[in-house]
Amino acid sequence: MEGVDWMRDAAFTPLCGERATLAADRVYLLADPEKYAVETAAGARTQLLIVHTRPASVTLSVSVAEDAELAVAEIFLAEAFADFSIRQHGQSRCRMTTVELTSANVKYGIDLDGAGARSELDGLFLAGGKEHCEVAVRVNHNVPDCSSRSLVKGVAGGDAKGAFRGLVYVAPDAQRTDAQQTSRNIELTPTARIVTKPQLEIYADDVKCSHGAAVGQLDDDAILYMRQRGLSEVQARRLQLEGFVGAIAAQCGVEAVRDRLYELIVEKLERM
Amino acid sequence: MLSVKNLHASVGDKEILRGIDLEVKAGEVHAIMGPNGSGKSTLASVLAGNGKFTVSEGSVTFCGRDLLSMPIEERARAGLFLGFQYPVEIPGVSMANFMKMAVQEQRRYRGEEPLTASQFLRLMKEKSAVVELDPKLMSRSVNEGFSGGEKKKNEIFQMAVLEPRLAILDETDSGLDIDALRIVATGVTKLHTAENATVVITHYQRLLDYIVPDVVHVLYKGRIIYTGDRTLALKLEKEGYDWLINEYGAC
Repeated sequence: MEGVDWMRDAAFTPLCGERATLAADRVYLLADPEKYAVETAAGARTQLLIVHTRPASVTLSVSVAEDAELAVAEIFLAEAFADFSIRQHGQSRCRMTTVELTSANVKYGIDLDGAGARSELDGLFLAGGKEHCEVAVRVNHNVPDCSSRSLVKGVAGGDAKGAFRGLVYVAPDAQRTDAQQTSRNIELTPTARIVTKPQLEIYADDVKCSHGAAVGQLDDDAILYMRQRGLSEVQARRLQLEGFVGAIAAQCGVEAVRDRLYELIVEKLERM
Repeated sequence: MLSVKNLHASVGDKEILRGIDLEVKAGEVHAIMGPNGSGKSTLASVLAGNGKFTVSEGSVTFCGRDLLSMPIEERARAGLFLGFQYPVEIPGVSMANFMKMAVQEQRRYRGEEPLTASQFLRLMKEKSAVVELDPKLMSRSVNEGFSGGEKKKNEIFQMAVLEPRLAILDETDSGLDIDALRIVATGVTKLHTAENATVVITHYQRLLDYIVPDVVHVLYKGRIIYTGDRTLALKLEKEGYDWLINEYGAC
């Protein structure tokens, strides 16, 4: 695994086999899984780092037990098709950060099955050259009193393509649901293309749901402003892009990987 | 320092500046006044190098150099500062990071050593005091969530940090309450020296109670139709622009 030596850091506890129960307050590492099932112990506070370094078709499932708190960071360094289902029980919290640094196609299905569950998802895809990134997020509010927030950002350069599909589903009796879904995208070139499609499907009446999506270019006014202070155009564009994507790494729930993640993102931006 | 000769500029087919002549010397404060749509902000934008405008005629010399041939950032590094009428919000880019890059780029251009981290911190602290800007704003994104007053103070703060030779302040007074106006204007006055110059673009005389101009110009339909001393601003406040336009505005 060239270039991923950092994963051998003692800070991470590698997972083997096909399934695991996470109980300890530490960072578990799942490297190149294909089919894997993870569950947390009830009330556990734990973290999981998933890294894809070779092309694969992946099926993952995570069950977050009652009162448990799980932070997940998933990093795509190689082209993968991934189907990821997350089931959350009462009062659980799951905070997910996912970053595609190359072509990848990822589907997240999040089921909020116990009252008081909270899901947070931050996603980022960076598509350069002829790469193709897709992210789909479906959040099912199956019971009352759950909240979810997802923010997926995309950047496409060259002739790259990106797509976001989002769906927030609120079941008929899932009252007092609080759901937010946002998609923000930047096309760096006229030939780059990002398609975004957020959707709400609401069958309960006492809910607070919002969604928003935008595809735009870098902000010329901001670039002019920064150049007027002495930054070169290249610096101004880079700074703005780093500002756009940087928060994703900064807010990653797996703290031990934040700096590394930020470096990987910046390295990728340099190649775009 | 700045010599503008017969400057014509347009956006699309529309000519907005129609022959501006302006001489600014070191140590001077100029005020440019005029009714809405007269071309005040366009003049500021063209001098800063905003690509939205096309210069069709005329010349601008800044400290002996042909300003119009210089890219935006080179104008800035050579000591031209524009205080924006509408400072831009840049999400995710911290003030501290942005100012550090600006300071280091400008120092590099002048062949100076980069500032150390502690020198930079000291500079930020010292200069934020000039405009009573809350130092906590340094860790926030550039202008994001700043109040109108904070945004304008931030412009003068950046001017204080960068120490330009020529500062052009485009409607820095607009949208300010009287306290913020006093703070901003006092900041500008504190920064004034015999070696630098300031051009204040304003709609209202009230700013000029605090920043006393040596020269006042009236811009109308893309031309400077009248130039006087500071008493002109007081007269305009009382009598409006009509008398000037009637006498000098025909063309």
